[in-house]
Amino acid sequence: MFTRKLVLGVSAFSALSLLITGCSSGSDTGDTGDKTVTIWTSMDQPIIDGLEAALAPRAKAEGITVKWSKVDNISQLIVQKVQANDPPDIAFMPQPGIIKDLAAKGKVTALDGILDLPTLRNSMTAGTLDVAQVDGKTYGLMVSMNVKGLVFYPKKAFEAAGYTAPKTLDELDTLTAKIKADGNTPWCLGIESGTATGWPATDWFENLVLKYGGLAQYNAWIAHQVKFDSPLVRQAAAEFEKIAFTDGNVLGGRKAIASNAFGTAGNAMFNSGKPGCYLYQQGSFITGFFPKAIQQSLDAEVGLFGLPPATAGGENAVEGGGDTASIYKNSPAAQKVMKLLAATDLGTTAAGNGSSFLSPHKDFPISGYPLQTTQAVAKVAYGSTGFAFDGSDAMPTAVGSGTFWKEMTAWIAGQQSLDTALKNIDASWPVS
Amino acid sequence: MLSQLFSTVLIVLAGIAAALAVFLVLNKLAEALPGRWEHRVKPYFFVAPAVAAIGVYLIYPTVVTIIDSFRDSNGEGFVGLDNFSKLLATPAFRQTLLNSLLWIAVVPATCIVVGLIVAALADRLSSGAEKAAKTIIFMPMAISAVGAATVWRFMYATQPPGTPQTGLLNGVVTALGHDPIPWLQQTTWHANSLLLMVMLLWGQAGFAMVLLSAAIKGVPTESTEAARMDGAGELRIFWRVIIPQIRGTLITVFVTVLIGVMKIFDVIYVMTDGAFNTNVVGLEFFNQLFTNYNFGYASAIVVMLLVAIVPIMIYQIRQFRAEESA
Repeated sequence: MFTRKLVLGVSAFSALSLLITGCSSGSDTGDTGDKTVTIWTSMDQPIIDGLEAALAPRAKAEGITVKWSKVDNISQLIVQKVQANDPPDIAFMPQPGIIKDLAAKGKVTALDGILDLPTLRNSMTAGTLDVAQVDGKTYGLMVSMNVKGLVFYPKKAFEAAGYTAPKTLDELDTLTAKIKADGNTPWCLGIESGTATGWPATDWFENLVLKYGGLAQYNAWIAHQVKFDSPLVRQAAAEFEKIAFTDGNVLGGRKAIASNAFGTAGNAMFNSGKPGCYLYQQGSFITGFFPKAIQQSLDAEVGLFGLPPATAGGENAVEGGGDTASIYKNSPAAQKVMKLLAATDLGTTAAGNGSSFLSPHKDFPISGYPLQTTQAVAKVAYGSTGFAFDGSDAMPTAVGSGTFWKEMTAWIAGQQSLDTALKNIDASWPVS
Repeated sequence: MLSQLFSTVLIVLAGIAAALAVFLVLNKLAEALPGRWEHRVKPYFFVAPAVAAIGVYLIYPTVVTIIDSFRDSNGEGFVGLDNFSKLLATPAFRQTLLNSLLWIAVVPATCIVVGLIVAALADRLSSGAEKAAKTIIFMPMAISAVGAATVWRFMYATQPPGTPQTGLLNGVVTALGHDPIPWLQQTTWHANSLLLMVMLLWGQAGFAMVLLSAAIKGVPTESTEAARMDGAGELRIFWRVIIPQIRGTLITVFVTVLIGVMKIFDVIYVMTDGAFNTNVVGLEFFNQLFTNYNFGYASAIVVMLLVAIVPIMIYQIRQFRAEESA
């Protein structure tokens, strides 16, 4: 009698505490006979659906069931779960810095013995296999990518006026001048984004630093080995200044940039009659912000080119992001799933189902993307000489989500000199 | 959604049950003591949980924060007064302090004035019109500050000239044939901070109005009648008869709004996140802690705020006591 009461009490209590903490204990795959592999990701649902549909039958053939969970705040959660010794088998991280941190602490399984890395290197976009490397070992496999530093334009008006995509940054300046000489406004530019105002300006900077300095200098910059107050960053700033601050270059002028919302800043390209502006630099995701009517006939209305390199045919790395898969709980089943995730044709379903999926494999057939717009993005990515992860995401948050945004905004709004802005950012870099 | 609702209800019920159980157990313990002691100890037993809660959730964090304000950015190693001196040495932080002072100087006083005018004038309306006017002015109080600030962004929103304006003010400005004005970027004379204050006034005036209106209605009609008989004009009655009698309420409203303004965060976080020189202390604290992970700076800012607020609270409590005993 007493024991029954106790058992009841204890189970009621534990049920309650489970409810209160609001978490289930997750799927325990510790049993040797159990062949379930959990994957955590924060990717968009249509991409997950596409990958899940492609992976399930291949895993089944190996006797493995894959359980996908869409997780919000995956970066914080994975750190907590690893500390609590309860990680998922595999997780897709949008920030490779976290994979590197955890790998340095020995919490992530290296993929060197598991995947055929040399072959994979030939198959993948340059640099995408290196985003999560620690001490020469590879800890992450990028499965889905996105590209930044793309210049969108209103296709019909752009082509009717006889404009062509520039091959160098100098040609970009020439194109800007030509559009202006024709009596048009060349650029749409908006960096307003609520509490994150300023990030589109940092994207501009990152891309220009990458184009002028190359990948090695860029990586030194985001590690603060190259300062903000340096010739390279000033060169990038000068080009941005030329594009954004020259009278008549930007719709609404310099004053309008800081209060123009990035999501709608490009919409003036599609004004009925004459475009309000002709060029808009953003990431591949921005098409989702275009007016509905434009989205419905995207291929007819929108063209794009990647920000060109500093010198024609020279180093031309692209900036972007991606979701990178790593093994947090090692098992033969997890390793098998990882191998399946590395296959180029795994992305076929996701690419075809209308999601924003972009395969990091450069041998992925371009025709696999139903939209010409996506094909154009893929061409920019696959033709690059290297891949740079979003720099402000990789910097310490005090800079990357703090002073870099704020000081750029203050500079662009004309409330701060470039000199002060760059020095302030350098000063805010945490001493560790 | 349903399961969340269910667990919320369950947690609330479990919490109440647990609190009841604690008091029942304490009561039983006290009753177990011999007669005289039971009565001596019981009050302490009943007060103890509340005191413990304040100790754990208020006093302990305060002490830790004060200690942390003398530590480095990771909350380790003592650095003396470094956090304070470095913060006060940065021009940006001095501007932040200046902005906070501006809020303190403008908002509570304006709030009282607006509340008082509305309360005094509404008092003279027919009861139906009074209710309607008060309801409208009180309504913003029912909206969360974050929601209200998000909506108010549309007041000041700015698009480049030649594109349709989504902001109300710029809609008017462009309709009159002018170029849109980037309102929140107007730093001359801290105009943008003043625009943010308008939003808070819009939200807080109702609060001042309700309390002041109740106080005005509490003024005995005998005193105003007597003044009228003696030939005093309405304005004179207002200043010489009504105001002295509602002084206590005026001070309470003023101090409450003042403390609220010193801690102001949400309005600015949502509208500008401190850009364009609109930063204030409450927001800077948040950004130091949750963006920069600088525990030292964050704690130092809170300590400065604490030092500024405590005397005001002491004044309010004294005032309150004086009223009670009067």
